[in-house]
Amino acid sequence: MTTKTAKIINKTGLHARPASDFVQAAGKFDAEITIKRVGDDEEANAKSIIFLLSLGLCQDEEVEISADGEDEAEAVDKLIELINSGFGE
Amino acid sequence: MKSYKGNPVSKGVEIGKVYKYVPYHASVGEELIEEAQVADELQKYGDAKEKALHELNRLKESMGKSDQDKAAILGAHIEILKDPAMDQQIGKFIKKKMYNAKYAIDASYKMFIGMLEKVQDDLIRERIADMKDVRNRTLRCLDGEPEKNLSTLSEPVIVIAKDLLPSDTASLNRKMVLGIITEVGGATSHTAIIARSYEIPAILGVKNAMELFVDGEEVIIDAIAGNVLTQIEEEIRQDYDKKSRIFKEQALDTKKYLHVEPVTKDGERIYVNLNIGSTSEEELEHAVVSDGVGLFRSEFLYMGRDKLPDEEEQYKIYTKVLEAFAGKTVILRTMDIGGDKKLDCMELPVEENPFLGKRALRLSFAYPDIFLTQLKAALRAAVNGDLWIMFPMVESMDDIRRAKQYVEQAKKELSDACVPYGSVKIGIMVEIPSIAVIAEQAAKEVDFASIGTNDLTQYTLAVDRMNPELGDFYQKYHPAVLKLIRNVIEQFNKAGKHVGVCGELGGDELGSVILMGFGLRQLSMGYASVAQIKKIITNITIEDTKGIADNVCAMSTSAEIEAYVTGELKAKGL
Repeated sequence: MTTKTAKIINKTGLHARPASDFVQAAGKFDAEITIKRVGDDEEANAKSIIFLLSLGLCQDEEVEISADGEDEAEAVDKLIELINSGFGE
Repeated sequence: MKSYKGNPVSKGVEIGKVYKYVPYHASVGEELIEEAQVADELQKYGDAKEKALHELNRLKESMGKSDQDKAAILGAHIEILKDPAMDQQIGKFIKKKMYNAKYAIDASYKMFIGMLEKVQDDLIRERIADMKDVRNRTLRCLDGEPEKNLSTLSEPVIVIAKDLLPSDTASLNRKMVLGIITEVGGATSHTAIIARSYEIPAILGVKNAMELFVDGEEVIIDAIAGNVLTQIEEEIRQDYDKKSRIFKEQALDTKKYLHVEPVTKDGERIYVNLNIGSTSEEELEHAVVSDGVGLFRSEFLYMGRDKLPDEEEQYKIYTKVLEAFAGKTVILRTMDIGGDKKLDCMELPVEENPFLGKRALRLSFAYPDIFLTQLKAALRAAVNGDLWIMFPMVESMDDIRRAKQYVEQAKKELSDACVPYGSVKIGIMVEIPSIAVIAEQAAKEVDFASIGTNDLTQYTLAVDRMNPELGDFYQKYHPAVLKLIRNVIEQFNKAGKHVGVCGELGGDELGSVILMGFGLRQLSMGYASVAQIKKIITNITIEDTKGIADNVCAMSTSAEIEAYVTGELKAKGL
């Protein structure tokens, strides 16, 4: 299992298009990936748009991404990088 | 030729083929299966999902460059359909709980929708509507029913339906719908409002329309006179072709007035405000052609959801409107629930006479927590702009005083919690005849009034405005109603208090002239009426309107008044 954290910098948070981009990116990996707010128990399947939206993640929030599977390290790095990029906003 | 009558609610003339719209309705019951059927039901779900995906992909591909917004929504639908968590949940319901495929799909979507409803965010709320759509699509595919909706029409048609739901009109393809004809609905119904704002000719209240017309047959919709014509002879066809062309040319000419400053020929500035009922981008963009919001209907905050909106959410929404209308006044009407507006998030009493029942302000008094939440949100938002608070369904001075006490209590609760709030003007909606009669007294207690002419007419004449059978009895220029309106305008003007009209009469060509003649300077209306009303304002003098209003006051029937004012406007080339 690989886990890393990042801060959401884009304005709309993980809503709308950024949420779609995130789920699509997560879907490319075989590993099981979860995302949650740092300090919160509730975690969501990162490949599910519905679960991701239900977290209601906003700008300036810290999130933790964990992956479990063969490509876990690559998956976590890629998704953290995506969040840090600000989704081009 | 055959002709059928109805109530023209959005003007225009068009000739086109009939498209009878019968929306798909999923009937889902709690149906359980045997172990042996599990594989079959999983297969059924898989097939339905495949089919739905195929439909969505095809639709998305058919979208042109100008439809990028719609394509994005379809993309979101595909995403929901493909969501692995949804898949797992549906599979689980079939395998573990022995639900049949239909019930499993419905239950899973309901579960996830419930989960998202807990999130306080506008964007996510839109996603809930998307999920409901995807659920319907999947269930329909499972039933093997073909797709029928107003967004995917392939040729221009005249839509005929029993009734149209907000979801139908929201997705309607404006380029492909030439006209709308429904069996139910009046001038103030949702369909009428949408048709006007899309500039689609519409005739509502055409009895048995679904039986009268055949799919594909050619009809003329004359939404000026209120006739639907079938079995059309060539001569008549040419005649209506010309009428249609002339109407479009005039409409184009009127549009030029959209952005002018509404000043009468003798220099009187008239304030043209908007009635809005959502915070959609489209509605807020209209701010530029107006002097403010004369009526912000707050009901949408409460409708179509399982949970009441909290203070923070309301604060954000009110602020959003104030920011869109920066430097302008926004009149917020507190919740006007009850009557024809029902809620999912609250059990309301079933009443014998809902329009005379526990609705609007009366409901707010019955649920002080909900009322105070709204007032506090409004007071807080008032820091960000010029917000006025208006109470609907005020019948007596007691109502006014009681409502004001709640405002004081809301202020006190905010002060005690050290939360900043802004100053607001307090006013009433005049829609019950009793308060119109005692306008002189009411004017002393409030800062402003806005006359809701639809309900005022319905209550004065004791005519249910939603009942298509009573169309002839709902007389919008009834002398008794005009007399009440004149009294309110004069008393408020005399007291030096603001007075406006936010009912249909404010956006009505003849009505606006009479109202200005009565001394009114603030008209509030739907966006669709703005250009037409500004055209009238800029081509008339206050003296003209006073003369017309005086003559109107001497008349005894609605028909007489209508004919007279129509003639006066025609003589001025309007």
